[in-house]
Amino acid sequence: MATGGYVGKILYVNLTDKTTEEIPTSQYEEWGGGYGIGQALFWDRVPDKTIDGFDPANMVSFMTSPMCGTGAPSATGRTEVTGIGIQQYPIGWFTRSNFGGRWSAMLKYAGYDGVAVQGASDTPVWINIVNGKVTFEDATGLWGLDTHETQEEIWKIVTGNVDFRDWWDADSTRDSGRTTAKPAVVCIGPAGEAQTRNACLLHDSGNGGGQGGFGGILGAKNLKAISCIGTGSVPVADPAALMDIRLELKEVHGYNVDDPKVEQPLTGQGTSLFGINTNQPGYAHLLWTANQPARPQGCMGCFKNCRMNFASGLANGDICVEGLFWAASGDLNEQMAAITLLDRLGINAYDLINGHSYLHSLYKMGILGPGKEIHSELPWEEYATYGFIEKLLHAIADGTDIGADLQDGVTRAAVKWGRYEEDIASGLLNRPQWGFQEHYDPRLEVEWSYGSLFGDRDINEHGVNWWVHWMPLVTAALGVPAHFSAERMVELLAEATGVGDPDGWDYSEEGIYADPKLKAVAWHRHYGRFWLQSMLLCDWAWPQLASVNTEDNKGATPEYEIRMYKAVTGKDITYEESLEMGRRIWNLGRAIWTLQGRHRDMEVFSGYVYDVPTTAPYFLPVKENGEWKYGICLDRTLDREKFEDTKTRFYALEGWATDSGWPTRAGLGELGLDHVADELEKNGKLGA
Amino acid sequence: MADNDIKTTEGQGYSRRQFFAGLGGVGVGALLGGFVVKGFIVPEQVMALPASEGYLLVDTKKCAGCDTCMLTCSMVHHGRVNPALSRIQVTKNPFGKFPYDMEQVQCRQCPAPACVEACPTGANHVSEENGNVRMVDESKCVGCERCVYACPFTPSRMQWNHEDKHAQKCDLCANTPYWNEEGGPGGKQACIESCPMRAISYTTDVPVQQEWGYMANLRNHHWGWLSLDTTDFGKEADFELPTNPVPPAAAPAE
Repeated sequence: MATGGYVGKILYVNLTDKTTEEIPTSQYEEWGGGYGIGQALFWDRVPDKTIDGFDPANMVSFMTSPMCGTGAPSATGRTEVTGIGIQQYPIGWFTRSNFGGRWSAMLKYAGYDGVAVQGASDTPVWINIVNGKVTFEDATGLWGLDTHETQEEIWKIVTGNVDFRDWWDADSTRDSGRTTAKPAVVCIGPAGEAQTRNACLLHDSGNGGGQGGFGGILGAKNLKAISCIGTGSVPVADPAALMDIRLELKEVHGYNVDDPKVEQPLTGQGTSLFGINTNQPGYAHLLWTANQPARPQGCMGCFKNCRMNFASGLANGDICVEGLFWAASGDLNEQMAAITLLDRLGINAYDLINGHSYLHSLYKMGILGPGKEIHSELPWEEYATYGFIEKLLHAIADGTDIGADLQDGVTRAAVKWGRYEEDIASGLLNRPQWGFQEHYDPRLEVEWSYGSLFGDRDINEHGVNWWVHWMPLVTAALGVPAHFSAERMVELLAEATGVGDPDGWDYSEEGIYADPKLKAVAWHRHYGRFWLQSMLLCDWAWPQLASVNTEDNKGATPEYEIRMYKAVTGKDITYEESLEMGRRIWNLGRAIWTLQGRHRDMEVFSGYVYDVPTTAPYFLPVKENGEWKYGICLDRTLDREKFEDTKTRFYALEGWATDSGWPTRAGLGELGLDHVADELEKNGKLGA
Repeated sequence: MADNDIKTTEGQGYSRRQFFAGLGGVGVGALLGGFVVKGFIVPEQVMALPASEGYLLVDTKKCAGCDTCMLTCSMVHHGRVNPALSRIQVTKNPFGKFPYDMEQVQCRQCPAPACVEACPTGANHVSEENGNVRMVDESKCVGCERCVYACPFTPSRMQWNHEDKHAQKCDLCANTPYWNEEGGPGGKQACIESCPMRAISYTTDVPVQQEWGYMANLRNHHWGWLSLDTTDFGKEADFELPTNPVPPAAAPAE
């Protein structure tokens, strides 16, 4: 049993009858935290795994990890959300989302390691958690408010008119403690209330939990928000050791803002990309830097602080696809306003990041527009203006014009319009698996695409991607030499991951089907499931497989993960054991998807992945004639037959039946999951 | 400026209320720091307390709001993590406009510490053994909270530790049993060491200050190279807001 990290209780909420229950965290400690615990709770408390995501019986968990709230670097503030999703196509798999900020830390200060919500309220409610006291509050007055307004209203309700600069008494007695923080609120906006499949969760300014459609699920549950505030402490097993880790990490791997070891070669627009590999602050918008006075801004406990807050207050704390949203406008101020509107309405940036350009393509093709096959009276001739995107976003939130169809997400709208088969075959709709927008090239960067296909969603884990793809791309784009050679790159990755074989990072035409690659894909899933999704290390910071700040370019992984875990929990595990815990979590998920209807036959990519060659340079390490280099991977497709063979070998590697992809009794038994094998057998879905 | 305002040679204006409130700040502090304050006589009893040998110097424009200072402050002092027990606070409005979106607020080790003056038992004292840092002897604290309410700043830099039941304040890490480093004046401070933005520094001179904070700029040209703001000082915005941000609104579009 751990001596630190957990605060001891998980709050279970039944929205239907407005009852609560406290589950001892120790009952689920074997699953670590985050996704691991959320998934295990789902397994235990949702007997019928085949229900739809909108079903009141769907359980949505908001989980923390032992690291949350402790100051463990870039692992203190993230929250993991689990439940059956509504975004994926054709089936809403049991899935996950994740958001940063401070919500998870505050939940622990308020006394809980997680909140699991089941049932549905017959009227709008929000949940108010203050130092272990839980109340159901009427959300009628909040319904219709956007995500920022909702949070500000809840702050007023909970903490009154106390200025954000002053202490607030958690109770009438001083012994309840005082805090200068405002309640941490996760909420939905109008899009979530409308139960759209691309509605996100939002916390503070830019912390969105987009994938999965959890905003729409909360809308179906009539749950507007969960607010928490607390003044309690989180125990840490060895605080002096955790402090040492923080300081070492800062000095050895952090970006010294006063005197950086490696500084971006240029300043101005576009140079923020360089920060991907240097850990410099404020780089998270990737393609743009501040056009106005700004500061870096970080999630709680971060050692990088990748986001920014701006003089305009627009786009505060937004990152990645939020930050890139509406680049089509070409005007950064309009882009920032569009991002903020997206956040306020509570719409998942990733469903629309290319979704709007797909719609525009249909318009240009004469298929969509006034009086066309897909009738729309939106001002398509004004595409690339703020005025257009404002109307499109409102149409989605309000269910007007084509927004009525887009409330089911872009993928399902394409299905409804009869466009889906043709457009995923041509790549006009470049969604390689489960209806998710392409993120990195599925024909090339295959630990990303294989992992997504064998899983439940776009995996969104950047630890490998920052190095294999972005590093050579960014340095080439800025006209400077790569930080290190391709040969050194694969050595570093092989060593840090523990995979051992540099060929695991060979993205050549042969390498992406070879056995070493499959080991790398499996490592990626196991590491991700434990360290990122269950321990809630930020995927923008971890794993740190290489570094530009060390002489030998070695990163912090895996040494620091293990040290952090021990310092916080008091438990001494090896890196290999941590990966095995990840494999166990990954396999329980595989069992749930199997019960939901997953079969080998479904695990195929969209047609364009096999049939449409790449046309733009895409940097990755490749091994050609025994020599490593950064290749540009042009004119590449995924070979159907080779991929099917690869799939067979991957299933075997994971202990799944090669004909069905279902977990086997032997494989599950090895992981101590015999009860899971029993359930699969009972349902006729145990792999043989 | 009102008639009763006091003006320093630095050209900074302060109301009389601000002056008294910040007596440890620009008042006596400015004198000790070498500034000339016109038309004000420092009472003898104020000068009777020796000045702290060190001060935390914060640059609130450099702060990224990650709360790392708060997390480590509570951890090294108490062996557990709790921002409510941190002696340095970062106050934030996530929707605020830079630089009004957040502040670091820390004890100023006032030359005329109202918290020490208010303590009826001597628990809150000037610690000669620890470089004259203003400290609370927890064993002598009777829990009257006079110090908490005496602190002239918002939020009060004096805290009631609701878990251990005593008043507490920044001791410049003089008493940090859960850290492998020596703290206190002359030693290290957890907030300074852990801040990833290096937005907290240490000075032996009384920093130039306003009621809202220190006038400190710890940002050099490397900060500017990242397209981050390098202008002076603290909360003072010496720039104009962008002229053309389209107002965000979730109200239905026309």
